[in-house]
Amino acid sequence: MRDVAVIGVGMHPWGKFPDSSITSMCRQAVEAALEDAGATWPQVQAVSAGSSRFSGGKGWGLNGNDVVEDMGPTGIPVYNLSAGCAAGGNAFDIGHMLVSSGMYDMVLVVGGEKMPKGMIQLSGVDEETDPEYLRQVAVGMPGPSFWALLCRRRMAEHGTTEEQLADIAVKAHQNSVHNPNARFRQEFTREDVLNSALVSDPLHLYEICPVSDGAAAAILCSPEEARKRTMDPIWVAASAVATAQFDDGIPRGLASPAPADGHAYHSEALLAVEGCYEKAGVSPKDVDLVELQDNTVYYELAFPEEWGLCEPGEAGSLLDRGQTVPTGKMPINPSGGFLCFGEATTAMGMFQVCELTWQLRGQAGARQVPDAKIGLGQTLGLGSNASAVILKR
Amino acid sequence: MTTTKRVPVTEGLFEETAEGARLLGSRCATCNSTYFPKSPVCHNPKCSGSAVEDASFGPSGKLWSYSVQHYAPPPPAKFDEPYEPYTLGLVDLPEGLRLLGRMTADSGDLEVGMNVELVIDRIHSDDDGNDVVSWMFRPA
Repeated sequence: MRDVAVIGVGMHPWGKFPDSSITSMCRQAVEAALEDAGATWPQVQAVSAGSSRFSGGKGWGLNGNDVVEDMGPTGIPVYNLSAGCAAGGNAFDIGHMLVSSGMYDMVLVVGGEKMPKGMIQLSGVDEETDPEYLRQVAVGMPGPSFWALLCRRRMAEHGTTEEQLADIAVKAHQNSVHNPNARFRQEFTREDVLNSALVSDPLHLYEICPVSDGAAAAILCSPEEARKRTMDPIWVAASAVATAQFDDGIPRGLASPAPADGHAYHSEALLAVEGCYEKAGVSPKDVDLVELQDNTVYYELAFPEEWGLCEPGEAGSLLDRGQTVPTGKMPINPSGGFLCFGEATTAMGMFQVCELTWQLRGQAGARQVPDAKIGLGQTLGLGSNASAVILKR
Repeated sequence: MTTTKRVPVTEGLFEETAEGARLLGSRCATCNSTYFPKSPVCHNPKCSGSAVEDASFGPSGKLWSYSVQHYAPPPPAKFDEPYEPYTLGLVDLPEGLRLLGRMTADSGDLEVGMNVELVIDRIHSDDDGNDVVSWMFRPA
């Protein structure tokens, strides 16, 4: 296996764009990535793309084919990867393999999504054998209440307060003010967050991510191709995907195995992140910044502890002491995260690759993590899919 | 005068017995892993067997967590108009299941770790005015 460089990244701003097609949004991200890479479309030898459930792809998730047809058909192979909100990360993992294996020297990875209005109906299957369908009919439990249950448990176990939860959203918006691609770029006070509507108690509207339209892309290449273009490329230290284990205690479906110790953690995310640590030869203390999937503020407390970035129960005090801001000891989501971007589901992994690349190059402006050398990204999707990536300079 | 009928939200998930509410599921004949709803096979990757037998669960459990659903859920969930927030519970059963269900009590009466018991109760009405019932938890 050979090293793989991220030679170019590009993003379409995230938000609601009723007058833009998903194709035009992807094109903007792809053209920006090609320009950033100093490459042209005919030089791209393969495409790995996130499959969308909500937009484009001819209804079959063929979103990579849409991109190729739009950019100009050159006969190259297209891989469309479906993994819910982890699809972008999944596509990155395959794109990385296509280059590291020596099969191709230059690969485009892209994710783009236009989301329908309102809360996502999780399952696309309306039949009583589908656990998600049954969960909605027999109990009535939309997505945010899943996060709320995990969050309420944490409050009981670790004494996490409503104020701490609100402060995470406050911090996210302080970062997004400095990110021109963010959907929400205004600062909030703790009171603003606590006064926003209760969605699923204890979570307020500003403590969960909305749905957005967005697109992001990256050009991956061999060391030889990278050296033609730059002296100091960003490298993929590791990429990994995983699915959940049998008894991690996360409530999936109507009932799941209850671990005897009462614990619950996202095993799919932990396996992907640990897989990256191992492949990269990196320990949690080496990580300079994290872009994690903050569907809700809860994950910004739970994930760093589950992944060994801090001690169990310590994330709250790091937050209180201002250590999760870009200039702190454990910077989390300097981009503003999905709280400020919203989730454009299949683009999320590629969003993180873009932000990590800008941070590692020192191009992140007022949200820059000083002297960032190693960055970790992570996504989580329906079907218990997770992806993780470690980039380094 | 007509009596309101109780209609289960889905057939085959639960029954009301003289001893109380029972959920209908499965137990692995080899490793004792439990499943709700019924599962045709055991999914425990560490288990050498796959055959399961019918099992029923309840009524006691411990509240693992809870949340109040403040907005009307999207389809296919159903509710009575106008929408009234309801409380969801996640309950650990001694049979080894972490089970979702609605709570009969308001969140102010709930505490993580408290004992709860399974009941069958109304979650909404159907178009004919019947009570649609599902499993719920109430503080024990």
